[in-house]
Amino acid sequence: MLWSCTRLPRLERAALQRLAWWAQQWSSQVSYCSATGSDEALLWIEIGASQRLLGEAHSLLAQIAAGLAQLQYRGELAAAPTPQAARLLTRLSDHRIVTTLPALQQQLTALPLRLLALPADTLLLLHRTGLRRIGELLALPPAAVAQRFGPQTTRYLQQLTGAVAEPLPSVPLPAHFHSECEFDTAVEDATALLFPLQRMLHELQGYLRARDCAVQEFRLAFRHHRQAGSELRLRISRPCRDAAQLLAVTRERLAAFALDAPASALRLTATRFVAPAVLQSDFFARETQQAQELQQLIDRLQARLGAESIQRLQLRADYRPERAWRSLAVQDADGQAQASMDAVTAPRPCWLLPAPQPIDPPAGPLANAERIESGWWDGHDAARDYYLARSADGARQWVFQNLRSGQWFLHGLWS
Amino acid sequence: MQLARSLVRGISLSTPSTLPTGFATLDAALPGGGWPQGAVTELLSAGAGIGELSLLLPALAQLTRSSRQIAMLGPPCLPYAPALQQHGVVLRHLLLIRIADDAALLWAAEQLLRCSAVGAVLLWPRQLDDRRVRRLQLAAEAGGSCALLYREAAAHRQSSPAALRMRLQPAADGLQITIIKARGGSTGAVVVHTAAAA
Repeated sequence: MLWSCTRLPRLERAALQRLAWWAQQWSSQVSYCSATGSDEALLWIEIGASQRLLGEAHSLLAQIAAGLAQLQYRGELAAAPTPQAARLLTRLSDHRIVTTLPALQQQLTALPLRLLALPADTLLLLHRTGLRRIGELLALPPAAVAQRFGPQTTRYLQQLTGAVAEPLPSVPLPAHFHSECEFDTAVEDATALLFPLQRMLHELQGYLRARDCAVQEFRLAFRHHRQAGSELRLRISRPCRDAAQLLAVTRERLAAFALDAPASALRLTATRFVAPAVLQSDFFARETQQAQELQQLIDRLQARLGAESIQRLQLRADYRPERAWRSLAVQDADGQAQASMDAVTAPRPCWLLPAPQPIDPPAGPLANAERIESGWWDGHDAARDYYLARSADGARQWVFQNLRSGQWFLHGLWS
Repeated sequence: MQLARSLVRGISLSTPSTLPTGFATLDAALPGGGWPQGAVTELLSAGAGIGELSLLLPALAQLTRSSRQIAMLGPPCLPYAPALQQHGVVLRHLLLIRIADDAALLWAAEQLLRCSAVGAVLLWPRQLDDRRVRRLQLAAEAGGSCALLYREAAAHRQSSPAALRMRLQPAADGLQITIIKARGGSTGAVVVHTAAAA
């Protein structure tokens, strides 16, 4: 068993409890303790049922440290085979990761006794006895230690070295998530709430990862001074558990939201969670999800803009440029299987004018000559010589001369 | 103010991803080596038909080949399907919205940018202010897609929250690009040969 311990200065109990939920993204076995009479709080995370490699423990600790920084907390991290050893190592300035019991034993030997989490009077007594190093205390027979320094000292040493297991109560994940923040001075501008919200949403992200689920809606409740509270409900179009995305959505809503009155406290609550199926990193699941999402989007666009305004382009087999393509309402295009068509090989411009526009004969040099003759059978016959021309302002134009009338037209732009 | 600044810094720490433009000289000049994803790029074009669309086609073609949707909203002319296909764009992944109402167009752009199936949104608004660009920026951030905004050349005098702003002018056989703002990069000028592709 390998334990990671984080020692956090001055952290209130509610915040520590939320941190214990958040930490369950790494392990279901998380405990905390706010030591009485001390201003430090402890958070233990069981990070390996079996011995982990040193490198793994390093990267895990780095992840936890980065997560803490996102939450704007500061802490001292260490990892060791027993919870008490992990706690002790947080007090060192380096060599804070030990992965095996023999290595732990060896490291403890030379460390000073004052690092032990024993009552001050016990430490004083040990000092007076002439003991200075943890190794010296561990070398004494347990029965003698119990007799002179109390049985609790022996038990502590046994838990420290792993001779006796220390059962830690693991914090259960609540069915609902909530996080609260009180302000010293009431907040008037809703956008100023983004700073505490950033922390809250990262806590929520940890909780969602721990439960392996996502949210589609959550609630912000504002407390006001001498006035009933108010609320803002946020719904997002798809299940999400990414703090940055949730923050972006929240930021947008807050920008358009005016608080009824200055807020003295803010509470974030999420009570409905969505199965993580749609979040599978599996490529096909993602494709299916995207297809569904696209369909919903097109529905929304069509509902507001009209069914015909969302179009797809298709090729048509026709030599005449204005008939070599068509546009279709998206559902008609997506509903039919399109025969693959050979692309036109002669170069074509990106922009086509809605209709050829009469122009004066071009003055500059012409390039890319192409003759297009067709359509005599359906009355829309065309006999044209197309060229690339350059306009005075630098635009590259697709122009043609009608071979029957000699008239010049602008038909497209090479963009 | 202090809070706002640290918040902004906190968000911009997430690694920005980019989409290669398909033009090596341009990639080399852009931070991250391509069009910024999850952000707004403003293309201040001296006019239509100078190569302003060809500039995007390699990236757009790449997106459609990996089954991402691209959308063109309010283009000044008809995007010509045979030309787009010649440039490698998979037409069944292209959405075209041609409506005259600017507000509806911007609304649609935001919706599209937020959708994970959409890789890029090209937008030709007639009028645009800072607040609108900011909204597009938020939508692009939420969806991780490229918002590519065509504006008139005169807009370079206005400030803008866009991550990348560049001025496009015709050059001998391509496009003269002046990068006037690049978040996380430097400004400068590049010439790309879009004409060769046409």
